[in-house]
Amino acid sequence: MAMTITEKIMAFNSGRDSVVPGQLVWVDVHTVMTMDYLGKQCFKAFESLGAKTLFNRDRVICVSDHLVPPPTPEYATMLNEWREIVKSYDIPNFYDLGRQGIAHQIMVEQGHVLPGKISIGTDSHANTYGAVGAVGNAIGVTDAAIAMATGKCWFRVPETVKFHIKGEWQPWVMAKDLSLHIMGMMHWNGHLIYKALEYCGPAIDALDIAGRMTLCNMTVDLGAKNGIIAPDAKTAAYLQSVQKGDWNMIASDADAHYDAVYEVDVTNVGPTIARPDKLDDTVPVEQLVGTKFNKAFVGTCTNGRTEDFAIIAKILDGKKIHRDVNMICIPASQQVYLECIQKGYFEILVKAGVAIETPSCGPCAGIHTGVAGDGDIMLSAGNRNMKGRMGSKNAQIYLTSPAVVAASAVKGVITDPRSENW
Amino acid sequence: MAIIKGKAWVAKTYVMSFDMIVQKFWTSPIDPIENSKWVMAGVDEAFNKENGFKDFGYTFIVAGHNFAGGGKSIEHCVTGLMGANIKAVFATSFARLQFRNAINYGMPFITSKDMNLDCETGDELEYNSDNGEIKNLSNGKIFSSVPVAPFVAEVGAAGGLMNFIRTKIADGSIANLH
Ligand code: SF4
Repeated sequence: MAMTITEKIMAFNSGRDSVVPGQLVWVDVHTVMTMDYLGKQCFKAFESLGAKTLFNRDRVICVSDHLVPPPTPEYATMLNEWREIVKSYDIPNFYDLGRQGIAHQIMVEQGHVLPGKISIGTDSHANTYGAVGAVGNAIGVTDAAIAMATGKCWFRVPETVKFHIKGEWQPWVMAKDLSLHIMGMMHWNGHLIYKALEYCGPAIDALDIAGRMTLCNMTVDLGAKNGIIAPDAKTAAYLQSVQKGDWNMIASDADAHYDAVYEVDVTNVGPTIARPDKLDDTVPVEQLVGTKFNKAFVGTCTNGRTEDFAIIAKILDGKKIHRDVNMICIPASQQVYLECIQKGYFEILVKAGVAIETPSCGPCAGIHTGVAGDGDIMLSAGNRNMKGRMGSKNAQIYLTSPAVVAASAVKGVITDPRSENW
Repeated sequence: MAIIKGKAWVAKTYVMSFDMIVQKFWTSPIDPIENSKWVMAGVDEAFNKENGFKDFGYTFIVAGHNFAGGGKSIEHCVTGLMGANIKAVFATSFARLQFRNAINYGMPFITSKDMNLDCETGDELEYNSDNGEIKNLSNGKIFSSVPVAPFVAEVGAAGGLMNFIRTKIADGSIANLH
């Protein structure tokens, strides 16, 4: 029977030849991720199940990302408790402060997600894993605990919606712009609730893994169950650099059934911005050129990768951040941090007047490292712009690509990166 | 026959997960009574005090599209409602993360289209979980709902997924999950 890639993954990992949308299946999970602020509760819930051991010690991935380095004594205590419990289970894949990174970045760059497999995590942006052809899914503490005990998780097989992306990427246009464009088209948490979202087409083939991660990352904000891109030669090359072993280069059947098919010509997508408060209130950058803002931020599981900082470095090379703007950049992991140092990107950024912080979620969840105060107008390359998301409810958050943030930070007002020869 | 009667709170706009449980409680332990103290605090100013929502004594919530949207995976949204004695939520659609959490906790999140257009806060509703019918006793309107999947009913009957799995681990039938 013809199946989409997501259906195939659900079938193969539940010991079935085929599945149909709507079917309820228990699947084998490849990895379970949890992190600092929910992790202890996962282990406690696991303990209450009566299971003797973890299903596989190597496949429970523990990350410190939201709270590191701890901004308050309360968080420091929480982190200590978290460390204690992870250590008591002798978890080999513990990415604590010093080896840290945002969990979703760690999962992909450290090879904990693989094509054709299912990985789950106690954080909404686990959809990111679709970038390498895995089903990545966010779950709660209960599901994590059960998967830690049994290696299994239940799923209702989702209907798949295809986004065929054609055309040529225009200069300074990034995966984030396409993501925001689709957000405006489909609406935030709108028509794609419960769906698997499959990106394909020549413009997706042209995207690097970093761009694919950005795209899949934000499918959760479209309400989708997962976002996925079939693995190709780029995926294989990327994985070979991070992980040894076999994986399944799986793809949708040509005659698979889709719930809906949308086509987007990326040639017509320019730099795009979501205006404050609503993710789907997106407009082309042209409409906002000249808008004042005072804080610039690039980081997060959406846009904190080496490729993102490469673009920023290109724009900031030899320039200065405008004196009315404070700019913070946070690499998504220690590995990204190191790469950006080695490639010289961070030298350019520091010379331009950017504050660089140690890897963490930073102000994205409004917890620390540059949160918004009353009256702040943030221009962020993150993923959420609801009132109060990055701190004060009396701040405004514009979301856009790293290129728009960098160009705008130089000018002190929202700027179209295409307007100048950087 | 399982019939539940009680008063409803009707959402007139989107209800987002990050307003149901505001940021400072995201790191709190999951505990229905504790979580219920501040559940819905960000949804409406009237609920923004200790036990603010709970003290109204609602039994049901009626909402439109994408109830508990916004993409948070925290379970406090569901446990908070449970602790506040909510027996069922009726909505046109639910955000998938909280829909999943509700199933796992055996909390009925029942899909019933556009009920929010024909109900007012304070209306008395009667929900028959056997046939999925919901009556608005205050205005006589009757609504049907999407039947609950057998797995969901089974988990609900077991008192949630943790109990469901605990039993299977204890009796050795866990390997049969398929
Ligand atoms: S970077 Fe932001 S969106 Fe990503 S996991 Fe951290 S808090 Fe969540």
